[in-house]
Amino acid sequence: MSKTYEYVPEPALVKGNHDFGSITRLVTDINLRPTPKAWYIVFGISNLLLFVLLASIGYLIWQGTGIWGLNSTVNWGWAIINFVWWVGIGHAGTLISAILFLFRQNWRTAINRFAEAMTIFAVMCAGIFPAIHVGRIWVIYWVFPVPNSMAMWPNFNSPLLWDVFAISTYLTVSFLFWYVGLVPDFATLRDRIKSKFGKIAYGIAALGWRGSNRHWWNYEKAYMILAGLATPLVLSVHTIVSFDFAVSVIPGWHTTIFPPYFVAGAVFSGFAMVLTLMIIVRKIYGLEEIMTDDHIEKMNIIILVTGSMVGFAYLMEFFIAWYGQVEYEKAIFILRATGPYAWAYWIMITCNVLSPQFFWSKKLRRHVGFTFFISIVVNIGMWFERFVITVTSLSTDFLPSSWGYYSPTMWDMLTYLGTFGLFGTFFLLFLRFLPMIAVAELKGAMPQADPHNYNDEGEYAPHEEIIPEPKRSY
Amino acid sequence: MAESQNETTYWKSLNELAQNREYQKFVEREFPEDATEMTDQVSRRSFLRVMGASIALAGFASCRKPMQKVIPYTKQPEDLIIGVPNYYATSMPFQDTVTGLVVENNEGRPTKVEGNEAHPASGGRTSIYHQASVLEMYDPDRSRSPRLNGQKSDMAQFEAFAAEHFSDTGRSILVLSESNSSPTYRRLKDRFARRFRNSTWITYEAFGEYNVLEGSRIAFGSKLRPVMHFDKADRVVSFGDDFMNPAEHKNSVENAGKITARRKVRSTEDDMSRVYVIESNYSVTGGYADHRIRLKRSEIEAFMGAVAAALSGQLRGLSAYSGVQNAFTDHEWVQKIAADLLENRSNSLLTAGRDLSPEAHATVAAMNAALGAIGTTVTYHRVPHLDDEAGPEGLKSATDAMRNGEYDTVVLVGGNPAFTAPSDLNFSEALRGAGTTIHLSNYVDETSRACSWHVNRAHYLESWGDGLSYTGIASVIQPQILPLFDGVSEIEFLHILTNGVKGNGHDLVKETWRSQVSAPFERSWEKVLHDGLSEGDGFPAANVRLTGNFQSSVSGFGQDKKLGMEIVIKADPKLFDGRFANIGWLMELPDPMTKITWDNVALMSPATARKLGIRDTRKFNSDAVPVVTITTETGSLDIPAWPEPGHADDSITLYTGYGRTQTGRVADGVGVNVYPLRTTEALDYQPGTVVNAGRTYDVACVQDHHSLEGRDMIRTATLDEYRKKPDFATYKSVHGYEVPGIKEAKAEGDDKGPISLFTETYGSDDQPQWGMAIDLNACFGCGVCTIACQAENNIPVIGKREVARRRIMHWIRTDRYYEGDEDNPTVYHQPVPCMHCELAPCEQVCPVAATVHSEDGMNQMTYNRCIGTRYCANNCPFKVRRFNFFNYAKEYLTTGDDPEIIQMAMNPDVTVRFRGVMEKCTYCVQRVNRAKSASRLATGSRKPVDGAVQTACQQACPANAISFGDLTDRQSKVAQDKMNERNYVMLEELNVRPRTSYLAKLTHPNG
Repeated sequence: MSKTYEYVPEPALVKGNHDFGSITRLVTDINLRPTPKAWYIVFGISNLLLFVLLASIGYLIWQGTGIWGLNSTVNWGWAIINFVWWVGIGHAGTLISAILFLFRQNWRTAINRFAEAMTIFAVMCAGIFPAIHVGRIWVIYWVFPVPNSMAMWPNFNSPLLWDVFAISTYLTVSFLFWYVGLVPDFATLRDRIKSKFGKIAYGIAALGWRGSNRHWWNYEKAYMILAGLATPLVLSVHTIVSFDFAVSVIPGWHTTIFPPYFVAGAVFSGFAMVLTLMIIVRKIYGLEEIMTDDHIEKMNIIILVTGSMVGFAYLMEFFIAWYGQVEYEKAIFILRATGPYAWAYWIMITCNVLSPQFFWSKKLRRHVGFTFFISIVVNIGMWFERFVITVTSLSTDFLPSSWGYYSPTMWDMLTYLGTFGLFGTFFLLFLRFLPMIAVAELKGAMPQADPHNYNDEGEYAPHEEIIPEPKRSY
Repeated sequence: MAESQNETTYWKSLNELAQNREYQKFVEREFPEDATEMTDQVSRRSFLRVMGASIALAGFASCRKPMQKVIPYTKQPEDLIIGVPNYYATSMPFQDTVTGLVVENNEGRPTKVEGNEAHPASGGRTSIYHQASVLEMYDPDRSRSPRLNGQKSDMAQFEAFAAEHFSDTGRSILVLSESNSSPTYRRLKDRFARRFRNSTWITYEAFGEYNVLEGSRIAFGSKLRPVMHFDKADRVVSFGDDFMNPAEHKNSVENAGKITARRKVRSTEDDMSRVYVIESNYSVTGGYADHRIRLKRSEIEAFMGAVAAALSGQLRGLSAYSGVQNAFTDHEWVQKIAADLLENRSNSLLTAGRDLSPEAHATVAAMNAALGAIGTTVTYHRVPHLDDEAGPEGLKSATDAMRNGEYDTVVLVGGNPAFTAPSDLNFSEALRGAGTTIHLSNYVDETSRACSWHVNRAHYLESWGDGLSYTGIASVIQPQILPLFDGVSEIEFLHILTNGVKGNGHDLVKETWRSQVSAPFERSWEKVLHDGLSEGDGFPAANVRLTGNFQSSVSGFGQDKKLGMEIVIKADPKLFDGRFANIGWLMELPDPMTKITWDNVALMSPATARKLGIRDTRKFNSDAVPVVTITTETGSLDIPAWPEPGHADDSITLYTGYGRTQTGRVADGVGVNVYPLRTTEALDYQPGTVVNAGRTYDVACVQDHHSLEGRDMIRTATLDEYRKKPDFATYKSVHGYEVPGIKEAKAEGDDKGPISLFTETYGSDDQPQWGMAIDLNACFGCGVCTIACQAENNIPVIGKREVARRRIMHWIRTDRYYEGDEDNPTVYHQPVPCMHCELAPCEQVCPVAATVHSEDGMNQMTYNRCIGTRYCANNCPFKVRRFNFFNYAKEYLTTGDDPEIIQMAMNPDVTVRFRGVMEKCTYCVQRVNRAKSASRLATGSRKPVDGAVQTACQQACPANAISFGDLTDRQSKVAQDKMNERNYVMLEELNVRPRTSYLAKLTHPNG
């Protein structure tokens, strides 16, 4: 049988000879099996780190912001860096689930649940920092427009206030999107779990899902609407976070390139984090047939693209600093590359610009171990990007008399470390109790879901040419 | 923990407030006035502020009994309205001079000192010592009772002891006194000498003007004090005289006022004097000079000899120097200076540093005489109370006699010789060998601990006294409060010794003054108390002539001295000889040149540092500096090395006063005591060796970067350049093009700056618009503005660790930049308070609108609203905002056994800020609003007349560098300054439109 393909067909999304039932079992058995010992150990470590976070925050509130390494020149340090870093990581989930959904990228179904969970927990970690970094956390509610007897409203000119709205909206919509996607899977778990308590709990979460045609119709519309709502948020959140810097007058902050540059960076770091987690998880839970090497390759391509965009932005910053001929702007970029924080700058360049370039090689981008390594490197690089932006600009701004070096204290580091505890704790709970792959959606993307793949008797008889192995790179 | 304690105190005060009927009345009386303003939220907030202040007052008022004794509130004193401070004249003694002051007194608590405008040594201005003396008085570490052999005693016991001990008038007594010009003190001293025939009276100061007096004795035959009239001098040559530094010259405030006045330039018509400074370390005076010649301390006198030799050919009276030939004879600057002096002759003024040899002072006197300067730019005066001062030799012989057991009683009136005496005397050991030893002092210090009796001294703000200014103007010292710790003043102390009972200081002073002022006495006395000084011209100017044998007296002067490495010991600009060591404000004041706080260092040139194998600059990212070991004949010590651009090579400068061990919580353990290297033979400088100790030490320096990086924060020109191009300081002149956006703005009718997105305009017609101008041509970097601001605005001292973290809280700082050659760079000082930008970047980014603009054009900080995001501080291009990273105010105000003492030093008009809020310069809004309401009551206008409101920094500045006032009043000083062509603002291109501007610096170089 010969046929000329007008397009290069997608390789099979799910490897192995899975049918609907085996997929359900593969994914949900993880939740139904007894808890493995290793889970308890990792959960214990995460809890310990979570305790470190709580203790650091407690001590911070008790003693004051002074326990951090901040000073009168560099008034924002690790807290804001960590905030931007975590928010950036939180970008991948919504991008994968909403934007790729709208673009009908079916490969997303293997990782979207997982990435969305990561997003929510990352945004939670991020949200902690702007709250605790203020001097008087007990009056932090003044940033909300709460009607009060003084008729005092927050200052709507302030990018920090925009942040409050941007982050809270993003968290809300991300959570809703995630939850809506979970509903059919909750029902699956409800139906499969043996324990009574589990049945009740999953039953409540499933909102009475029975899989009727009408349910599916409502579900898909809601999902579509939420995807539409979430899509602009993917762009707006980090745009607004970048305004914290771009709206100021500080050289190195006051640039119009920040919104696209921040969004690209966020997607970059988000995908790297998804990869880091995914490579571990698919190995441990034996999900390589769902989260395949093809997925890794696709994500590596996105990392290569966004990494190059970020690299282009770094270049443009220098170009504009030179082209704009603003003395302070020029000085700050020269100082970034050669000044007291040059070490941080070159770590950033190495990790963010150079390391993704390896992914031009197909062999490397399909190499799991190498991808894992690069994903970690990218996350380190993106942390340093935020460090370079936040600290270097402040440390050597307009008046040379005020220049000053910033270095973190133990408490800066412990607080950051602690957020991994928070993230890990939630993420482990997620892995344990929720289906980490969107079973219903994945099934919808399988060839079995295509009615054309059934013969007149209703038996599964896929057209062979629809699922060929890839013959050449594309 | 500590948090809840604070709560308790607060409520305790409130309860006390509620129970106290006086305060109930007060509160009732205050309410209706403000309540009428409660029409909108803004007024309501200001009302709350008023109420907050009154609660604070109540808390303070319940603190201490002595206050109640001073002002018994059972009957309201006639001239006291609670909440309105009273001002009383007094004067502050320092060594043997006094400076007239006016002290702000809030309900019996002196809280702030200002200069007395009528007093010539002040002219309304002050030095850091005057400003910081308030905190000294409230220092809880001051001694609180007499002590006998280290055990707590009381004044009655001491009086009983003295009555018994001193009833034997045949005792051999040594009295070792600090220098004191007080007529009453001298009267009692004479009485003491008459009563105790076997007594010896020695006056000693670690840094006295012995060489100055001895120099005039060599030149003119009698001990005379030179008084310099810088306002009349066209050319000033200072040989190592740091005459604008209060630690180096007793009349520094007047000197600074006069020399800066002579160099004020209002228009191209105005002239400036020219200042040459020849010195080893980089001093504030050197920084102010037009030409600074960098020489080793040991070379200065040879240089001076060469100048005298160069002049001797043209001038009569200098023949003694015609034969001087040394390494500097052909020095470029010797010739230039000599030529310049010869051109200006009697309009020249030469001066030599306090520590230079008597022969050097004689030479300066001879040159002044030869130039005809004596009588015009410098006058010589006999100072009677200095006639019998013995100096270091006197101390040496007295100590030897003491060691030999010649005295059965040693009385030390003030001073701390066990710490400050030359180390070869082994003073404290000799003191232990004496019989009964009695020490009167403020602190239980090194000397007190070596004595059998310690008597606690009353501070000058607590006691009656009197004294003479540098030029001999007599003033009375009026107490502002009863002694907090029941101490006695030196006159009361002397009275105890002679009469066995503590006299009444007031009566003793009054008795002296009966013969000093014209009749009717009470009226004249009241006038003296009111004015703060008596009429009269002070010490009469002496008619001087070189002595006949002058030539032989100075023969050999001006020879080259080859010293290798020299070690110079100087009085610390902040702590002086150590007497101010426990004053936190001074300890935390950045050194005017090095910007170091909380430490003393070995200053050396970068080249010398390289020679020693240590870094010639400090690492930007580390506080660690290398430590060097300095060894001289008498000892050795380890001290952090500090390469200071402009310091002479092969010369090390050390500052005294640090390295205390038992004085108080501030002073103890800070820095290194360098007195062990100071001997009778080498009070000033000596050869020594310096080696790298191979370890490092953390130094808290508030400025990490010292170069301007070619930026335009400081704009400067020579006088000639200014005359050719008066607008040299404008943005266009500096950059060659207009500020971007200025044409577009003008097209839209906005002439205040470049085009802006923001359309807010500030200022209604009935409101003044405040602005400030700082004349960089006057500022010499002394730092008194910082201390005055700290005193006025309740700014906490935060300690070395926090300063090292770059969190210093000062609202006005002085930036110091070096420019040019590392060996002898130019120095620029730039005081930086809040700029009060009209389009303030801080206001735009605060999420809760805690920093906003007032109608009268000030950028205000609402502490109660601040949540502490610190975004404003980040977005401030001038980095003037200060954040309470910890509860600094609480630590500052509630530590120690009775924190109420230090709380009393607080200004009740200014909120004490708590943890987690931002703060910054307010343009002294409390003073502004007081003046506005006074003006409104008096004239109905909210615009006070020019000069009615002065900011604390402006008021203290000895150089009169700061003007502040209403910009809508075209005649106001500040408006005039801002119309000057030298006026510029920093970072004009940012279009933040600062209300604080600068007048560009001018120099008047030779050639």
